[in-house]
Amino acid sequence: MIKAILFCLGFCLISFFSCANTGSRLTATGGITGFEGTAGGGITPWAFISGYGSKEEINGTANVQYLHLNDYTLTTFGASLGIYDRIELSVQRQSLDISSGITSNVFSLLTDGAISAAQSTRIDMDIVSAKVKVLGDGVFTQRSWMPQVAVGAQYKKHRDFDTTLLLPDGSGPLPNQGVARILGAKDDSGTDFFVSATKLYLGHINGFNLLTNLTARYTKANTFGLLGFASENDDSYKVEWEGSLALLTSPSTVIGVEFRTQTNRLGGLAEEDTVTDAFIAYFPNKSFSLTAAYVDLGNLPMQPSSTGFYLTATANF
Amino acid sequence: MSSHLQKIRITTAAIALLLSMLGGISGCTSTQTASQTSASLYDEIGGSKTLNTVFGVAINRIYKDPVIGHYFNGVPKSHLRKQLVSQTCELIGGPCVYEGKAMLETHKDLNIKEREFYILVEYVQGAMRDVGLTYQQENQILQKLAPIKYETIYL
Repeated sequence: MIKAILFCLGFCLISFFSCANTGSRLTATGGITGFEGTAGGGITPWAFISGYGSKEEINGTANVQYLHLNDYTLTTFGASLGIYDRIELSVQRQSLDISSGITSNVFSLLTDGAISAAQSTRIDMDIVSAKVKVLGDGVFTQRSWMPQVAVGAQYKKHRDFDTTLLLPDGSGPLPNQGVARILGAKDDSGTDFFVSATKLYLGHINGFNLLTNLTARYTKANTFGLLGFASENDDSYKVEWEGSLALLTSPSTVIGVEFRTQTNRLGGLAEEDTVTDAFIAYFPNKSFSLTAAYVDLGNLPMQPSSTGFYLTATANF
Repeated sequence: MSSHLQKIRITTAAIALLLSMLGGISGCTSTQTASQTSASLYDEIGGSKTLNTVFGVAINRIYKDPVIGHYFNGVPKSHLRKQLVSQTCELIGGPCVYEGKAMLETHKDLNIKEREFYILVEYVQGAMRDVGLTYQQENQILQKLAPIKYETIYL
C-alpha cells in the first residue's frame, strides 16, 4: 500500500517535471479527481472528461488522495485515461482504515459489553469506472444554457467483505464477516450509474467564471460502497443527488461547495447523512493540481459527527 | 441529533460563505457598473487601442507557432489584426461593425482541429494577461468569443 502510494507520488512528480504535453484544453477544465477516481469535484463526477485532451488527443491522469475523519482515514489512489474528450476510463483503489476504538465499540455493542476490545481493521475497495460525454460543450457553448452532459458507471468491488475482525488476542469470534457484512450489507460489489450535467459560465459573476454541476446517481451502495451494497431487505437501486458550485477566483484557483445525498439503507449504526464539502483547488499549470477540502460526512458507524480534511493531488500527462 | 444539527450548521455556513462571496462580488458589480451595459466592457478595457495591443501581441505569437502558424501563411498580420479587433469590439459592445467575411466562410475546408483552436485561445488569453487586462475582463471577453469555436473547427 505505502509502496503503491510512493510509486504513484513518484509518478506524479516525474510527470510534473518532465512532461510538457498534457493536452490542449484550458486549465482547470479537466476538474480534479474525485475520491472514486472519476474526474469532477471531490465527491461527485462532472460531465468533463479527465485531463486536458481535446478531440484529437489521449491524455492520462494519476492521483493520490487522503481524507482524515478522526477514527476513519481514507487513502486512495488511481489513474485515468481521457480519450478524445469523449471517453474517460479510470481505476481507483480505496483503503479505509478504521481505528481499534471503533471496532472495539462495535463488538462491545454487539456483545453487550462481553467483548470490549478489538484490533483496528481496513477495508479495501477497487473501483473501475467509465464515463462518456454524450452532448454539449460545457465551456464554449456560452450563448445558451445548454450544459455538457455525460453518463457513466462505477463498478466497485470490496476486497475485505469477508475479512474477519480480530480481537487483540488474534481470535475472530465472527469468522469471515467484515465490517460491511456485520452492519447488514448484502453484496460485496455493485455498480453505480450516473448522469452529470456541467456548465462553466464564463465571466458570469462580476467577470468570474462560475461552474455548476448536477449529478444523479443510481446506486445500491452503502456509504459509497465502503460499507457494501444493498441490504438483506432492500436490494433495489435508488436515485441520489449530487451537486457542485464553484467559482474560479483566478486563472489557477477554484473555490466551491458540494453536496451528495445517500440512501441510508442500512440504518442503525451505519446511518448515512448527506455529505457536504467546501474546497479550494489550485491549478498552477496543466501538469498538476492540488485540492484541499473540509468534508462533513455526518454519521459513520460509532462516530456520529465525521468531519475532517481532504487532500487530493492530481497529475496530468 | 447533535451531529445532524452540526452538519446542517456547517453546510449552511459553507453555502452562506459562498453566497456571501458571490453576493459581495455581484454587489460590487452593481455599484460599479449600475448604469452601464455590456458596452462598458469595451470602454472599461480602453477601447480599440487596447484591443489592438492585445491582438498585436497574440498575432505575433500565433504566426510563430509551429502548429497553427501555417494557417496564416499569406495573411498579412495587419489585416488579421484589423478583423479581430473589429469583431471583438462589436462583440463587447464597442462602436464597431464587423465587416469582414463570415467566420464559417473563412474557415471552410481548413479542417482546423479542436486542439489548434485551443492553442489560439491560449495565445489570446496570454496576450490579454500580458497587456494588463484583469482576469474578469479576460473572462468576459472570452465569453463573447467562445461561440466562435463552432464557426471555425472541423469545417
